[in-house]
Amino acid sequence: MAELCFEHVTVQYPIYNSRSMSLRNQLVRISTGGRIENEAGHIQWVTALSDVNFTLRDGDSVGLIGHNGAGKSTLLRTMAGIYQPNIGLIHRTGKVATVLEMGAGMDVELSGYENIIRMGVLMGVSLSDIKSRIPDIEAFTQLGDFLQLPVRTYSSGMATRLMFAVATSVQPDILLVDEVFGTGDAEFQIKAKERMEALIKSVGIFVFASHNHDLIKQYCNRFFKLEHGQLQEIVTL
Amino acid sequence: MVSISKYPGLADVVKTSQCFRIVLFLAFSDVKARYKRSVLGPFWLTLGTAGGSAGLGLLWSELLRMDAKTFVPSLTAGLILWQFIAGVVSEASVLFSRQASIIRNLNLPLSIHPAQLLLRHLINLLHNIPVFFLVALVLGHPLTIESWLAIPGLVLVTLNLLWLALLIGLLGARFRDLEYLIAMVMPLLMFISPVFYRPNYLPFSEQIMWFNPFSHFIEIIRYPLFGLAPPNFIVLTLISMLVVGWAFYIGVV
Repeated sequence: MAELCFEHVTVQYPIYNSRSMSLRNQLVRISTGGRIENEAGHIQWVTALSDVNFTLRDGDSVGLIGHNGAGKSTLLRTMAGIYQPNIGLIHRTGKVATVLEMGAGMDVELSGYENIIRMGVLMGVSLSDIKSRIPDIEAFTQLGDFLQLPVRTYSSGMATRLMFAVATSVQPDILLVDEVFGTGDAEFQIKAKERMEALIKSVGIFVFASHNHDLIKQYCNRFFKLEHGQLQEIVTL
Repeated sequence: MVSISKYPGLADVVKTSQCFRIVLFLAFSDVKARYKRSVLGPFWLTLGTAGGSAGLGLLWSELLRMDAKTFVPSLTAGLILWQFIAGVVSEASVLFSRQASIIRNLNLPLSIHPAQLLLRHLINLLHNIPVFFLVALVLGHPLTIESWLAIPGLVLVTLNLLWLALLIGLLGARFRDLEYLIAMVMPLLMFISPVFYRPNYLPFSEQIMWFNPFSHFIEIIRYPLFGLAPPNFIVLTLISMLVVGWAFYIGVV
């Protein structure tokens, strides 16, 4: 049973430029009492999501569209609980898995096998669970003996295979995906698509951010459009 | 229900203690990755410390006309402890910016990073401690029952370093100058802390030295190693730092 509910969620984050990042300017600001405050203390706030409301239940597959910088990745991260809302409430039941920027926590000095365990542990999977998934990852990546070598010896395509295999080796209730299709060689793309499709079928809620409308139409039954941080549900693409 | 709790800083630390196994695994995995391609691995640290204390110890005991038998063990303990303290404090300032990809992509509490930093340095400390025991053995420096008091001392120091690393990490993520400021200040603090000498060697500047909190960090562990219970004021300083530090962190963050 998965559920994801946003109530008036606003996410903002401050951008500290090099002037406001500097301790000297903060100190000067104290000692000069506001004379150059406008310049030194200027922090820009970006409103990435503004008053977002929706409820997702089991069986919902959401396609997320919007221009670059419309807030798609921020929305996915907020759904995952990585970003906290400044205002509003999030109600979330079910285990979440994300396929965002892949390879978080990967250490290129460690071998493929060691990285499988390391990334798995970071994703909150228990050690015994990860070890039981190694055969599946071996089979999918087809990296063979390369898994015993440090990841720094991999080509970027090989590293992508490994990261993708680990990221998709989980069994979540809620799956959040940021545009990942179209990496690696042709053979891998087909395999990745199959694996992704199997995973999508097994989860309760699926959210997919993409610029590819055909893919979205293929996998999704609800469509959200983000524009300047404002979310609008649209009926058809 | 995810709501903004009253004390998010505290909630974060509680979450970290719940996933302590992740922290432990990461710390070991980091040490392993760092020494991946070296034969001796972390034991280079042990050798480095051994070389440093032997060289400095023999030279300075002669320069300062001190008895090598008491001076060298004291210096060794001082150097090992300073490496631990300075290592945590200097790395803390770049902690969060270095872990940006984990922070932006995985739903993990933020305080796992200081905890992992501290554990990693504790693992390094464990590699260095044998040097002290070796020196003590070779020079016939006696270890007594009171020496066990070093362990609660180390626990107090570690808990103090944790809040310090959290605060420095947070400030360092906001003010990028902090990294360089700390790099500048730490050597100065080393000279006004009892790394190279015992506090009572100083004829008149002893008071100044006690203004440096790290002097207390070192002495609470080193007194027991020399068969004495640490003076009450040192224990009190560390306990009050612990209470005030954590209260400040929980209240402000």
